[in-house]
Amino acid sequence: MTTLRIGRTPETFSTSATYFDGTSAHPVPVSVTVDEEAHALVAHAGADFRWPLSEIREVLDQAGGDQMVIQLATDPVQRLILPDRALEPRLPNRTKRPKVTNRGPLVGWAFAAVASVALIIFVLVPAMANQLARFIPPEGERALGEVTFNQIRSALDQTGLNPVPVCENRAGLAALEKMETRLQDALPEEHGLTVAVLDHDMINAFALPGNYVVFFRGLIDNAQTPEEVAAVFAHEIGHVVSRDPTRHALRSAGSLGVLGLLFGDFAGGAAVLLLAERLIEANYSQDAEAQADVFAHQVLRDAQIAPSALATMFERFRELGGDANPFVAHFLSHPALGDRIQAAVDATPNGFQSVPVLTAAEWRALQSICD
Amino acid sequence: MTTELAGSRGALFWLALKTGLLTVLTLGFYRFWMKTRLRRWYWSAIRPGGHPLEYVGDPVEKLLGFLFAVVVLAFYIGIVNLILMFLSFSLFQDNFAAYTASLVGVIPLWFFAQYRARRYILARTRWRGLRFGLEPGAWGYAGRALWHWALTILTLGILWPRMTFWLEKYKTDRTFFGSARMNQGGRWQMLYPAIIPLVIAAVIGALGTASFNFGEPEVAAGLWVIAAMIALYGFVHYRVVTLRLLTNAKTVNGVSLALSPSPFRVTMIYVLGTLLAAAAVFLPLVILGLLLLTIQSADVLAEVGMEDIVAPIAGAGRYMIIGASVVIYFTIFLLWSALTNVFVTLPVVRHYFSTLTLSPQDGVANIRQRPRDEFAEAEGFADALDVGASL
Repeated sequence: MTTLRIGRTPETFSTSATYFDGTSAHPVPVSVTVDEEAHALVAHAGADFRWPLSEIREVLDQAGGDQMVIQLATDPVQRLILPDRALEPRLPNRTKRPKVTNRGPLVGWAFAAVASVALIIFVLVPAMANQLARFIPPEGERALGEVTFNQIRSALDQTGLNPVPVCENRAGLAALEKMETRLQDALPEEHGLTVAVLDHDMINAFALPGNYVVFFRGLIDNAQTPEEVAAVFAHEIGHVVSRDPTRHALRSAGSLGVLGLLFGDFAGGAAVLLLAERLIEANYSQDAEAQADVFAHQVLRDAQIAPSALATMFERFRELGGDANPFVAHFLSHPALGDRIQAAVDATPNGFQSVPVLTAAEWRALQSICD
Repeated sequence: MTTELAGSRGALFWLALKTGLLTVLTLGFYRFWMKTRLRRWYWSAIRPGGHPLEYVGDPVEKLLGFLFAVVVLAFYIGIVNLILMFLSFSLFQDNFAAYTASLVGVIPLWFFAQYRARRYILARTRWRGLRFGLEPGAWGYAGRALWHWALTILTLGILWPRMTFWLEKYKTDRTFFGSARMNQGGRWQMLYPAIIPLVIAAVIGALGTASFNFGEPEVAAGLWVIAAMIALYGFVHYRVVTLRLLTNAKTVNGVSLALSPSPFRVTMIYVLGTLLAAAAVFLPLVILGLLLLTIQSADVLAEVGMEDIVAPIAGAGRYMIIGASVVIYFTIFLLWSALTNVFVTLPVVRHYFSTLTLSPQDGVANIRQRPRDEFAEAEGFADALDVGASL
């Protein structure tokens, strides 16, 4: 029979190779040729198989580059080891992935895994932290606050060597105590507070487990009146009373570790971790902040301080927003700040008679508490 | 049957650099592919009897395994640690107890992960078309490892060879090549020669302590340095020699394995390879240091009101410096990982396997295939806990 060919005739392909059938460890020497018409690789002598060229895949990332290992796309175990790479141009789908592993269920499981982690971080850990926060004994809560306080002091120091100092100017402390007594008297029940000022120019204040209320010097420096400081003070007492800090400390002890595990072990992870931490922080704040505000309004009114001082302080945060201070920026990004200012203004009755918190001398003393 | 080795340093360097770059660009997501591709390369470089090993692991199953491990560890770190933290503060007013309990709790998981990683890797390794395999038994391994470690610590290391032997025997006796089970022969006492350098280091260290007590601090310091260097060599010596002794007592299907690596050579590869890689990243490291110093000093000057001096590196200039620092940081990271592959891992692998022989020659030909070990969890725990099963 005569075969008529049109165009260039491909060179005949023939080589010797080693074949492993995937059922025994016995190496089978074979000679293989390409059947040009059927587009198939055919084995002779030793083994008898016929692989369509389009179904042949190369086993990739092989060292040496001297030989070529090929397999059939649909067969996981058979291998043919060719002594050179002459077959390469004849394999149209050489680098495609073999169809031997079924990835469908894997993808499903991957989604399930991500969902479980989210469930743990955003539902399970917060729910448990909220429950446990109710049962922690006062001395345990106190210790938790102490540890967190020291962690924050070390973390804020950029060199990491000496923790941020606590301000101890005597006259300043006396002024702060006077302010505390005024607010304490307005509380429905007595709370033993520990109040401290940290020598750091961040414009912020926060509460910690175990009835800690901590101001940064920056907040006192930037306040125009003692009433503004007292308003923030009342807000932080609101957190203390609702035990937000205890829940938060327990929660972050749990969930931050998980995020660290997820993103921690490669170079780009730190940024993601920071972002996630931010998210959790903001999530926690939205609800609790509003409640602490409502509490503060009541206490301030009872202490004969205008709740609008809180609005003034928030306005000041907003004015200072031009600064690159991350805390202020974070505060401003909070969508509810405008509402909170309005709420503080609304909480002040018309013709409200306020009584000054500190004398001018005491206010000066408080402003130089870190000197 | 001897073992041939293929593959050049250059090819490995580019593969490691390329996959490392993709890992950085994908925020670490590509690392499962990177690991798979590097393993494929290394496995194929080893050719016992002229036939290359093949690694057939799938990156997607590694990713899934990692996610699965993250779920379990998230539960552990999130929930268990939360309860531990609560109890620790409630009962002891301190977090020390919680950290200790949490850390101790991870130890069994660590051994568990090691065994599972080995099982996965063997299940995805083939030679002459046949799969390797390891029988399930990770908790049994973890339990034995805890017991042997306790004994070793209680006897101040005297029973260390006993631990090495029995743990290796546990793993080897559960290892298969195709249908053939591997066997670990020998007895644990045969490993004692391996600890000789460590004993010498301990004696010299003790002499140092003695001379310190006799008021000779200079002599003591000298002896301690010598002891430390010998000890460093001693650990490599122990690993290499025990590996040799154990391998030489292994058989599979009547075929004996033999390995004759030199502990001195392995030590030199580690030392010189690390030095070479360090020398290569030294220049970028210096540049990075200078850039960071510039940023830091600009901050300090700005704080004391001398912004004018640093005006050129404020604003946009500052961001360019920070950008350059980040790029250099990743360059160092990538170079280091690629160079340690080329100068440490590859030479060590080559040295070990170039000494591997199997006899008799045709003893494995009649071994049959074993079924696939699905094991979709892959080596997730090993990856999440970093149990030293790298490569």
